[in-house]
Amino acid sequence: MTQYAYFFGCVIPNRYPGVEYAVRWVCGKEGFDIDVMDVPEFSCCPVPGIFYSTDKDTWLLLAARNLVLAQDERREILTVCNGCFTSLMKGSEYLRDPKSMGRVNRVLAQVGKKYTGVPKKSEGRRKVFEPVSVRHYIDVMANDVGLEAITAKTKRSLKNISVAVHYGCHYLRPTETRTIDDPNNPVLLDRIVEACGATSIDYEDKLDCCGAGGGVRSHVVDLANSLTEDKCKNISAVGADCIVTGCPFCLLQFDNAQKTFSKDGIPVMHVSQFQALSMGIDPISLGFDTHHVSAHSLLRKLRGS
Amino acid sequence: MGEVEKTFISGLKEVLVEEKVIDESQLEPSFAKEIKKYGGKDVMTCLQCGNCTGVCPISLKIDYKTRIIIKYCQFGLKKFTLGTRWVCATCYRCYEHCPADINPAEVMIALRHIAVREGVIPPFIKVAATNLVRYGQSVKPDEEVNKIRKELGLGDIHTFDPGYKKVLREISILVHASKYDKLIGIEEEVKT
Repeated sequence: MTQYAYFFGCVIPNRYPGVEYAVRWVCGKEGFDIDVMDVPEFSCCPVPGIFYSTDKDTWLLLAARNLVLAQDERREILTVCNGCFTSLMKGSEYLRDPKSMGRVNRVLAQVGKKYTGVPKKSEGRRKVFEPVSVRHYIDVMANDVGLEAITAKTKRSLKNISVAVHYGCHYLRPTETRTIDDPNNPVLLDRIVEACGATSIDYEDKLDCCGAGGGVRSHVVDLANSLTEDKCKNISAVGADCIVTGCPFCLLQFDNAQKTFSKDGIPVMHVSQFQALSMGIDPISLGFDTHHVSAHSLLRKLRGS
Repeated sequence: MGEVEKTFISGLKEVLVEEKVIDESQLEPSFAKEIKKYGGKDVMTCLQCGNCTGVCPISLKIDYKTRIIIKYCQFGLKKFTLGTRWVCATCYRCYEHCPADINPAEVMIALRHIAVREGVIPPFIKVAATNLVRYGQSVKPDEEVNKIRKELGLGDIHTFDPGYKKVLREISILVHASKYDKLIGIEEEVKT
Protein backbone atom coordinates (compact mmCIF):
# COMPACT_ATOMS: atom_id res chain seq x y z
CA MET A 1 0.00 0.00 0.00
CA THR A 2 1.26 3.42 -0.90
CA GLN A 3 2.35 5.69 1.91
CA TYR A 4 1.59 9.39 1.76
CA ALA A 5 2.46 12.63 3.52
CA TYR A 6 -0.23 15.31 3.86
CA PHE A 7 0.50 18.61 2.17
CA PHE A 8 -2.27 21.05 3.04
CA GLY A 9 -0.57 24.23 1.84
CA CYS A 10 -1.49 27.70 3.08
CA VAL A 11 -5.15 28.33 2.24
CA ILE A 12 -6.68 25.25 3.88
CA PRO A 13 -5.13 25.45 7.37
CA ASN A 14 -5.39 29.24 7.56
CA ARG A 15 -8.75 29.91 5.91
CA TYR A 16 -10.78 26.69 5.59
CA PRO A 17 -10.05 24.44 8.58
CA GLY A 18 -13.23 22.50 7.72
CA VAL A 19 -11.52 21.19 4.59
CA GLU A 20 -8.56 19.97 6.63
CA TYR A 21 -10.93 18.24 9.02
CA ALA A 22 -12.80 16.62 6.12
CA VAL A 23 -9.61 15.37 4.45
CA ARG A 24 -8.30 13.90 7.71
CA TRP A 25 -11.68 12.31 8.38
CA VAL A 26 -12.01 10.82 4.89
CA CYS A 27 -8.44 9.49 4.94
CA GLY A 28 -8.60 8.40 8.57
CA LYS A 29 -9.97 5.48 10.57
CA GLU A 30 -13.61 6.39 9.91
CA GLY A 31 -12.99 6.66 6.22
CA PHE A 32 -10.58 4.79 3.97
CA ASP A 33 -7.83 4.29 6.55
CA ILE A 34 -5.01 5.45 4.31
CA ASP A 35 -1.40 5.31 5.54
CA VAL A 36 -0.70 9.03 5.67
CA MET A 37 1.37 11.14 8.06
CA ASP A 38 1.92 14.79 8.89
CA VAL A 39 5.22 16.47 8.18
CA PRO A 40 5.14 19.59 10.38
CA GLU A 41 8.25 21.08 8.74
CA PHE A 42 6.50 21.58 5.39
CA SER A 43 6.34 25.25 4.41
CA CYS A 44 4.45 27.03 1.63
CA CYS A 45 4.84 25.04 -1.60
CA PRO A 46 5.83 27.99 -2.62
CA VAL A 47 2.87 29.56 -4.34
CA PRO A 48 3.45 29.55 -8.13
CA GLY A 49 1.70 32.89 -8.81
CA ILE A 50 4.26 34.68 -6.67
CA PHE A 51 7.54 32.78 -6.66
CA TYR A 52 7.44 30.86 -9.93
CA SER A 53 6.39 34.15 -11.54
CA THR A 54 9.17 36.30 -10.16
CA ASP A 55 12.20 34.12 -9.57
CA LYS A 56 12.34 30.51 -10.65
CA ASP A 57 15.59 29.83 -8.76
CA THR A 58 14.05 30.78 -5.41
CA TRP A 59 10.89 28.88 -6.27
CA LEU A 60 12.87 25.72 -7.02
CA LEU A 61 14.91 25.99 -3.82
CA LEU A 62 11.85 26.30 -1.62
CA ALA A 63 9.99 23.54 -3.48
CA ALA A 64 13.07 21.29 -3.24
CA ARG A 65 13.17 21.86 0.51
CA ASN A 66 9.65 20.46 0.80
CA LEU A 67 10.45 17.59 -1.57
CA VAL A 68 13.50 16.62 0.52
CA LEU A 69 11.27 16.26 3.60
CA ALA A 70 9.01 13.81 1.74
CA GLN A 71 12.00 12.03 0.23
CA ASP A 72 13.53 11.45 3.68
CA GLU A 73 10.26 9.93 4.86
CA ARG A 74 10.11 7.80 1.66
CA ARG A 75 6.56 8.94 1.06
CA GLU A 76 4.47 10.33 -1.77
CA ILE A 77 3.18 13.86 -1.24
CA LEU A 78 -0.60 14.04 -1.03
CA THR A 79 -1.56 17.59 -2.02
CA VAL A 80 -5.06 18.86 -1.45
CA CYS A 81 -4.57 22.04 -3.50
CA ASN A 82 -4.06 22.58 -7.23
CA GLY A 83 -1.44 25.26 -6.60
CA CYS A 84 0.66 23.07 -4.32
CA PHE A 85 0.23 20.20 -6.76
CA THR A 86 1.48 22.09 -9.79
CA SER A 87 4.30 23.79 -7.88
CA LEU A 88 5.69 20.64 -6.27
CA MET A 89 5.15 18.47 -9.34
CA LYS A 90 6.97 20.98 -11.54
CA GLY A 91 9.72 21.19 -8.93
CA SER A 92 10.10 17.43 -8.93
CA GLU A 93 10.25 17.43 -12.75
CA TYR A 94 12.81 20.27 -12.85
CA LEU A 95 15.01 18.32 -10.45
CA ARG A 96 15.24 15.39 -12.86
CA ASP A 97 17.87 17.47 -14.62
CA PRO A 98 21.20 16.68 -12.90
CA LYS A 99 22.45 20.24 -13.44
CA SER A 100 19.43 21.78 -11.68
CA MET A 101 19.73 19.20 -8.94
CA GLY A 102 23.39 20.01 -8.39
CA ARG A 103 22.74 23.74 -8.30
CA VAL A 104 19.89 23.32 -5.82
CA ASN A 105 21.87 20.94 -3.62
CA ARG A 106 24.78 23.38 -3.35
CA VAL A 107 22.41 25.87 -1.68
CA LEU A 108 20.38 23.30 0.24
CA ALA A 109 23.65 22.17 1.88
CA GLN A 110 23.50 25.44 3.86
CA VAL A 111 20.43 24.11 5.67
CA GLY A 112 21.75 20.55 5.87
CA LYS A 113 19.50 19.07 3.19
CA LYS A 114 20.13 17.14 0.01
CA TYR A 115 17.77 16.21 -2.78
CA THR A 116 18.51 12.89 -4.45
CA GLY A 117 15.10 11.48 -5.15
CA VAL A 118 13.74 8.34 -3.54
CA PRO A 119 16.04 5.31 -3.81
CA LYS A 120 13.99 2.59 -5.48
CA LYS A 121 16.34 -0.29 -6.18
CA SER A 122 20.03 -0.95 -6.60
CA GLU A 123 21.68 -2.29 -9.74
CA GLY A 124 24.88 -3.82 -8.41
CA ARG A 125 26.55 -1.01 -6.52
CA ARG A 126 24.57 1.69 -8.23
CA LYS A 127 21.40 2.93 -6.59
CA VAL A 128 18.51 3.97 -8.79
CA PHE A 129 16.65 7.07 -7.65
CA GLU A 130 13.21 8.19 -8.66
CA PRO A 131 11.86 11.73 -8.34
CA VAL A 132 9.63 12.35 -5.35
CA SER A 133 6.10 11.53 -6.39
CA VAL A 134 3.54 14.33 -6.01
CA ARG A 135 -0.11 13.30 -6.06
CA HIS A 136 -3.35 15.22 -6.16
CA TYR A 137 -6.13 14.35 -3.71
CA ILE A 138 -8.58 13.70 -6.58
CA ASP A 139 -6.06 11.39 -8.26
CA VAL A 140 -5.50 9.41 -5.04
CA MET A 141 -9.22 9.13 -4.35
CA ALA A 142 -10.21 8.08 -7.87
CA ASN A 143 -7.26 5.80 -8.67
CA ASP A 144 -5.75 4.53 -5.40
CA VAL A 145 -8.84 4.35 -3.21
CA GLY A 146 -11.13 3.58 -6.09
CA LEU A 147 -14.63 4.65 -7.04
CA GLU A 148 -16.22 1.37 -5.85
CA ALA A 149 -14.76 1.91 -2.39
CA ILE A 150 -16.16 5.45 -2.35
CA THR A 151 -19.62 4.17 -3.28
CA ALA A 152 -19.39 1.39 -0.69
CA LYS A 153 -18.75 3.94 2.08
CA THR A 154 -21.74 6.19 1.33
CA LYS A 155 -24.21 6.46 4.17
CA ARG A 156 -26.20 9.59 3.39
CA SER A 157 -28.29 9.71 0.25
CA LEU A 158 -27.36 12.58 -2.07
CA LYS A 159 -29.68 11.36 -4.80
CA ASN A 160 -31.49 14.62 -5.47
CA ILE A 161 -28.41 16.84 -5.21
CA SER A 162 -27.08 18.23 -8.47
CA VAL A 163 -23.49 19.37 -8.43
CA ALA A 164 -21.54 21.70 -10.68
CA VAL A 165 -17.93 20.57 -10.54
CA HIS A 166 -15.05 22.96 -11.06
CA TYR A 167 -11.67 21.39 -11.74
CA GLY A 168 -9.41 24.42 -11.59
CA CYS A 169 -6.72 25.17 -14.13
CA HIS A 170 -3.64 23.75 -12.45
CA TYR A 171 -5.27 20.38 -11.93
CA LEU A 172 -5.42 20.04 -15.72
CA ARG A 173 -2.68 22.17 -17.15
CA PRO A 174 0.02 22.54 -18.27
CA THR A 175 0.35 19.11 -19.82
CA GLU A 176 4.05 19.76 -20.44
CA THR A 177 5.31 17.09 -18.08
CA ARG A 178 2.51 14.96 -16.72
CA THR A 179 -1.26 14.81 -16.60
CA ILE A 180 -3.64 13.00 -14.31
CA ASP A 181 -6.72 13.62 -16.40
CA ASP A 182 -7.69 14.58 -19.93
CA PRO A 183 -7.08 18.36 -20.01
CA ASN A 184 -9.90 18.95 -22.48
CA ASN A 185 -12.39 16.47 -21.11
CA PRO A 186 -11.57 15.70 -17.46
CA VAL A 187 -13.67 13.07 -15.73
CA LEU A 188 -12.22 12.11 -12.32
CA LEU A 189 -13.93 14.76 -10.18
CA ASP A 190 -17.28 14.11 -11.90
CA ARG A 191 -16.84 10.41 -11.22
CA ILE A 192 -16.08 10.96 -7.53
CA VAL A 193 -19.20 13.13 -7.20
CA GLU A 194 -21.27 10.48 -8.97
CA ALA A 195 -19.73 7.73 -6.81
CA CYS A 196 -20.93 9.66 -3.77
CA GLY A 197 -24.43 9.29 -5.13
CA ALA A 198 -25.04 12.82 -6.42
CA THR A 199 -25.53 13.97 -9.99
CA SER A 200 -22.83 15.99 -11.69
CA ILE A 201 -24.47 18.34 -14.15
CA ASP A 202 -22.81 19.79 -17.18
CA TYR A 203 -22.75 23.54 -17.69
CA GLU A 204 -21.39 25.96 -20.22
CA ASP A 205 -17.67 26.78 -20.08
CA LYS A 206 -17.09 24.19 -17.37
CA LEU A 207 -13.33 24.26 -17.77
CA ASP A 208 -13.03 28.03 -17.56
CA CYS A 209 -10.76 29.58 -14.97
CA CYS A 210 -12.24 30.86 -11.69
CA GLY A 211 -10.16 34.01 -12.18
CA ALA A 212 -8.03 33.89 -9.05
CA GLY A 213 -4.80 32.28 -10.28
CA GLY A 214 -1.48 33.80 -11.25
CA GLY A 215 -1.85 36.66 -8.80
CA VAL A 216 -4.90 38.12 -10.59
CA ARG A 217 -7.01 37.99 -7.43
CA SER A 218 -4.35 39.80 -5.44
CA HIS A 219 -3.61 42.31 -8.19
CA VAL A 220 -6.95 43.20 -9.87
CA VAL A 221 -9.68 41.69 -7.74
CA ASP A 222 -12.51 43.11 -9.91
CA LEU A 223 -11.18 41.30 -12.96
CA ALA A 224 -10.99 38.02 -11.04
CA ASN A 225 -14.52 38.52 -9.69
CA SER A 226 -15.97 39.25 -13.12
CA LEU A 227 -14.63 35.91 -14.38
CA THR A 228 -16.20 34.18 -11.39
CA GLU A 229 -19.49 35.98 -12.08
CA ASP A 230 -19.57 34.50 -15.59
CA LYS A 231 -19.00 31.03 -14.18
CA CYS A 232 -21.66 31.45 -11.52
CA LYS A 233 -24.18 32.65 -14.11
CA ASN A 234 -23.60 29.49 -16.12
CA ILE A 235 -23.85 27.37 -12.99
CA SER A 236 -27.12 28.90 -11.76
CA ALA A 237 -28.54 28.57 -15.29
CA VAL A 238 -28.49 24.78 -14.92
CA GLY A 239 -29.81 24.92 -11.35
CA ALA A 240 -26.93 23.35 -9.45
CA ASP A 241 -27.32 22.97 -5.66
CA CYS A 242 -23.63 23.43 -4.97
CA ILE A 243 -20.22 23.83 -6.54
CA VAL A 244 -17.61 21.18 -5.77
CA THR A 245 -13.97 21.90 -6.50
CA GLY A 246 -10.66 20.19 -5.90
CA CYS A 247 -8.77 23.39 -5.19
CA PRO A 248 -9.03 25.54 -2.02
CA PHE A 249 -7.94 28.66 -3.91
CA CYS A 250 -10.80 28.27 -6.40
CA LEU A 251 -13.01 27.61 -3.36
CA LEU A 252 -11.79 30.85 -1.78
CA GLN A 253 -12.42 32.77 -4.99
CA PHE A 254 -15.95 31.41 -5.51
CA ASP A 255 -16.71 31.95 -1.84
CA ASN A 256 -15.45 35.53 -1.64
CA ALA A 257 -16.42 36.73 -5.10
CA GLN A 258 -20.06 35.66 -4.91
CA LYS A 259 -20.87 38.15 -2.18
CA THR A 260 -19.87 41.00 -4.51
CA PHE A 261 -22.49 40.21 -7.16
CA SER A 262 -25.23 38.11 -5.59
CA LYS A 263 -27.14 38.08 -2.34
CA ASP A 264 -27.41 34.38 -1.62
CA GLY A 265 -24.92 32.66 -3.83
CA ILE A 266 -24.34 29.01 -4.59
CA PRO A 267 -22.73 27.01 -1.76
CA VAL A 268 -19.14 26.01 -2.58
CA MET A 269 -17.15 23.19 -1.04
CA HIS A 270 -14.04 21.12 -1.45
CA VAL A 271 -14.44 17.60 -2.79
CA SER A 272 -13.33 16.17 0.58
CA GLN A 273 -16.19 17.99 2.34
CA PHE A 274 -18.62 16.61 -0.21
CA GLN A 275 -17.27 13.09 0.28
CA ALA A 276 -17.51 13.45 4.05
CA LEU A 277 -21.15 14.54 3.66
CA SER A 278 -21.93 11.43 1.64
CA MET A 279 -20.14 9.28 4.23
CA GLY A 280 -22.52 10.52 6.88
CA ILE A 281 -20.44 13.05 8.81
CA ASP A 282 -22.23 15.60 11.00
CA PRO A 283 -22.10 18.76 8.82
CA ILE A 284 -21.20 20.85 11.87
CA SER A 285 -17.62 19.48 11.73
CA LEU A 286 -17.15 20.59 8.15
CA GLY A 287 -16.68 24.22 9.17
CA PHE A 288 -19.25 25.65 6.76
CA ASP A 289 -19.58 28.62 9.12
CA THR A 290 -16.12 29.79 7.99
CA HIS A 291 -17.44 30.00 4.40
CA HIS A 292 -18.90 33.32 3.28
CA VAL A 293 -21.64 31.71 1.20
CA SER A 294 -23.97 29.87 3.53
CA ALA A 295 -24.43 26.15 2.89
CA HIS A 296 -27.89 26.20 4.50
CA SER A 297 -29.82 25.78 1.24
CA LEU A 298 -27.92 22.57 0.51
CA LEU A 299 -28.10 21.19 4.05
CA ARG A 300 -31.83 21.89 4.20
CA LYS A 301 -32.32 19.95 0.97
CA LEU A 302 -30.25 17.09 2.43
CA ARG A 303 -32.37 16.94 5.57
CA GLY A 304 -35.52 16.94 3.47
CA SER A 305 -34.42 13.89 1.50
CA MET B 1 -4.69 62.34 -33.72
CA GLY B 2 -2.35 64.03 -36.10
CA GLU B 3 -0.27 63.41 -39.18
CA VAL B 4 2.96 61.72 -38.40
CA GLU B 5 5.74 60.69 -40.71
CA LYS B 6 6.80 57.22 -39.81
CA THR B 7 9.77 55.17 -40.87
CA PHE B 8 8.83 51.53 -40.99
CA ILE B 9 11.14 48.78 -39.96
CA SER B 10 12.17 48.13 -43.55
CA GLY B 11 13.11 51.79 -44.01
CA LEU B 12 9.94 52.71 -45.90
CA LYS B 13 8.69 56.22 -45.09
CA GLU B 14 5.00 57.03 -44.99
CA VAL B 15 2.74 59.71 -43.55
CA LEU B 16 0.23 58.23 -41.16
CA VAL B 17 -2.79 59.75 -39.47
CA GLU B 18 -2.09 58.20 -36.11
CA GLU B 19 -0.82 59.16 -32.75
CA LYS B 20 0.85 55.99 -31.67
CA VAL B 21 3.62 55.15 -34.07
CA ILE B 22 6.44 52.77 -33.64
CA ASP B 23 9.87 53.53 -35.01
CA GLU B 24 13.12 51.67 -34.87
CA SER B 25 14.43 53.62 -31.89
CA GLN B 26 11.82 51.93 -29.70
CA LEU B 27 12.84 48.42 -30.64
CA GLU B 28 15.01 46.23 -28.49
CA PRO B 29 16.22 43.37 -30.67
CA SER B 30 17.57 41.42 -27.70
CA PHE B 31 14.16 41.23 -26.02
CA ALA B 32 13.33 37.78 -27.40
CA LYS B 33 16.65 36.49 -26.06
CA GLU B 34 15.94 37.98 -22.65
CA ILE B 35 12.58 36.18 -22.56
CA LYS B 36 14.33 32.92 -23.38
CA LYS B 37 16.79 33.50 -20.55
CA TYR B 38 13.95 33.52 -18.02
CA GLY B 39 12.41 30.29 -19.23
CA GLY B 40 10.12 31.46 -22.02
CA LYS B 41 10.29 29.72 -25.37
CA ASP B 42 11.39 31.40 -28.60
CA VAL B 43 8.68 33.98 -29.34
CA MET B 44 10.05 34.33 -32.88
CA THR B 45 8.42 31.03 -33.81
CA CYS B 46 4.94 32.45 -33.10
CA LEU B 47 2.69 32.17 -36.15
CA GLN B 48 0.32 34.91 -34.91
CA CYS B 49 -2.63 32.58 -35.38
CA GLY B 50 -4.46 34.05 -32.39
CA ASN B 51 -5.56 30.75 -30.82
CA CYS B 52 -4.08 31.90 -27.51
CA THR B 53 -6.23 35.02 -27.49
CA GLY B 54 -9.33 33.06 -28.47
CA VAL B 55 -9.08 30.77 -25.45
CA CYS B 56 -7.77 33.37 -22.96
CA PRO B 57 -10.38 34.06 -20.26
CA ILE B 58 -8.81 37.44 -19.46
CA SER B 59 -8.85 38.70 -23.06
CA LEU B 60 -12.66 38.51 -23.00
CA LYS B 61 -12.77 41.01 -20.18
CA ILE B 62 -10.11 43.63 -20.72
CA ASP B 63 -7.91 45.00 -23.46
CA TYR B 64 -5.36 42.26 -23.14
CA LYS B 65 -4.65 40.21 -26.21
CA THR B 66 -2.07 37.47 -25.81
CA ARG B 67 -1.26 37.45 -29.52
CA ILE B 68 -0.52 41.19 -29.53
CA ILE B 69 1.78 40.85 -26.53
CA ILE B 70 3.70 38.07 -28.28
CA LYS B 71 3.92 40.37 -31.33
CA TYR B 72 5.38 43.14 -29.13
CA CYS B 73 7.90 40.61 -27.82
CA GLN B 74 8.88 39.66 -31.37
CA PHE B 75 9.50 43.30 -32.27
CA GLY B 76 11.24 44.00 -28.99
CA LEU B 77 8.72 46.61 -27.85
CA LYS B 78 9.51 46.11 -24.21
CA LYS B 79 7.64 49.12 -22.84
CA PHE B 80 4.45 48.19 -24.68
CA THR B 81 4.21 45.08 -22.55
CA LEU B 82 4.35 47.13 -19.34
CA GLY B 83 1.35 46.77 -17.12
CA THR B 84 -0.12 43.80 -18.93
CA ARG B 85 1.95 41.03 -17.42
CA TRP B 86 0.27 40.79 -14.03
CA VAL B 87 -3.22 40.01 -15.30
CA CYS B 88 -2.38 36.57 -16.72
CA ALA B 89 -4.16 33.97 -14.58
CA THR B 90 -1.60 31.33 -15.73
CA CYS B 91 -4.46 29.00 -16.65
CA TYR B 92 -2.27 27.57 -19.45
CA ARG B 93 -5.15 27.29 -21.89
CA CYS B 94 -3.05 29.15 -24.44
CA TYR B 95 -0.36 26.50 -24.12
CA GLU B 96 -2.82 23.69 -24.82
CA HIS B 97 -4.02 25.43 -27.97
CA CYS B 98 -0.73 26.76 -29.35
CA PRO B 99 0.21 25.08 -32.64
CA ALA B 100 3.75 26.46 -32.43
CA ASP B 101 4.23 25.05 -28.90
CA ILE B 102 5.30 28.42 -27.50
CA ASN B 103 3.52 28.35 -24.16
CA PRO B 104 2.45 32.02 -24.01
CA ALA B 105 1.77 31.69 -20.26
CA GLU B 106 5.46 30.97 -19.70
CA VAL B 107 6.29 34.01 -21.84
CA MET B 108 4.13 36.10 -19.49
CA ILE B 109 6.00 34.57 -16.55
CA ALA B 110 9.32 35.47 -18.22
CA LEU B 111 7.97 39.03 -18.70
CA ARG B 112 7.21 39.14 -14.98
CA HIS B 113 10.79 38.07 -14.24
CA ILE B 114 12.03 40.93 -16.42
CA ALA B 115 9.60 43.41 -14.84
CA VAL B 116 10.71 42.54 -11.32
CA ARG B 117 14.33 43.00 -12.30
CA GLU B 118 13.45 46.44 -13.62
CA GLY B 119 11.90 47.37 -10.32
CA VAL B 120 8.25 46.98 -11.31
CA ILE B 121 7.09 44.99 -8.29
CA PRO B 122 3.36 44.93 -7.49
CA PRO B 123 2.68 45.24 -3.74
CA PHE B 124 1.10 41.77 -3.43
CA ILE B 125 4.41 40.13 -4.34
CA LYS B 126 6.11 41.85 -1.42
CA VAL B 127 3.25 40.95 0.92
CA ALA B 128 3.33 37.27 0.00
CA ALA B 129 7.13 37.09 0.15
CA THR B 130 7.10 38.79 3.55
CA ASN B 131 4.46 36.34 4.79
CA LEU B 132 6.58 33.44 3.64
CA VAL B 133 9.64 34.67 5.51
CA ARG B 134 7.70 35.61 8.65
CA TYR B 135 5.24 32.73 8.91
CA GLY B 136 6.40 30.09 6.40
CA GLN B 137 3.02 30.52 4.68
CA SER B 138 2.01 32.83 1.88
CA VAL B 139 -1.13 33.89 3.77
CA LYS B 140 -1.05 35.42 7.22
CA PRO B 141 -2.15 32.97 9.91
CA ASP B 142 -5.31 34.08 11.66
CA GLU B 143 -5.89 33.74 15.43
CA GLU B 144 -9.66 33.45 14.86
CA VAL B 145 -9.20 30.56 12.47
CA ASN B 146 -6.84 28.93 14.95
CA LYS B 147 -9.65 29.03 17.53
CA ILE B 148 -12.02 27.30 15.08
CA ARG B 149 -9.30 24.73 14.40
CA LYS B 150 -9.15 23.93 18.12
CA GLU B 151 -12.95 23.60 18.27
CA LEU B 152 -12.75 21.09 15.43
CA GLY B 153 -10.01 19.18 17.25
CA LEU B 154 -7.28 20.10 14.78
CA GLY B 155 -3.84 21.12 16.02
CA ASP B 156 -2.39 24.62 15.96
CA ILE B 157 -1.38 26.17 12.66
CA HIS B 158 2.26 25.08 12.24
CA THR B 159 3.47 28.69 12.43
CA PHE B 160 2.34 28.90 16.08
CA ASP B 161 4.34 25.78 16.90
CA PRO B 162 7.59 26.69 18.75
CA GLY B 163 9.49 24.07 16.72
CA TYR B 164 8.61 25.92 13.51
CA LYS B 165 11.31 28.55 14.18
CA LYS B 166 13.85 26.18 12.65
CA VAL B 167 11.80 26.06 9.42
CA LEU B 168 11.58 29.86 9.30
CA ARG B 169 15.35 30.09 9.69
CA GLU B 170 15.86 27.64 6.83
CA ILE B 171 13.50 29.64 4.60
CA SER B 172 15.39 32.85 5.44
CA ILE B 173 18.71 31.21 4.56
CA LEU B 174 17.39 29.94 1.21
CA VAL B 175 15.71 33.24 0.30
CA HIS B 176 18.91 35.09 1.16
CA ALA B 177 21.14 32.62 -0.70
CA SER B 178 19.23 33.14 -3.94
CA LYS B 179 19.27 36.93 -3.39
CA TYR B 180 15.48 37.00 -3.56
CA ASP B 181 15.29 39.30 -0.54
CA LYS B 182 17.32 41.92 -2.39
CA LEU B 183 15.36 41.46 -5.61
CA ILE B 184 11.99 42.03 -3.96
CA GLY B 185 13.23 44.50 -1.35
CA ILE B 186 12.51 42.58 1.84
CA GLU B 187 16.07 42.49 3.24
CA GLU B 188 14.99 43.76 6.65
CA GLU B 189 12.67 40.75 7.05
CA VAL B 190 15.33 38.15 6.41
CA LYS B 191 17.35 37.12 9.43
CA THR B 192 20.14 34.70 8.75
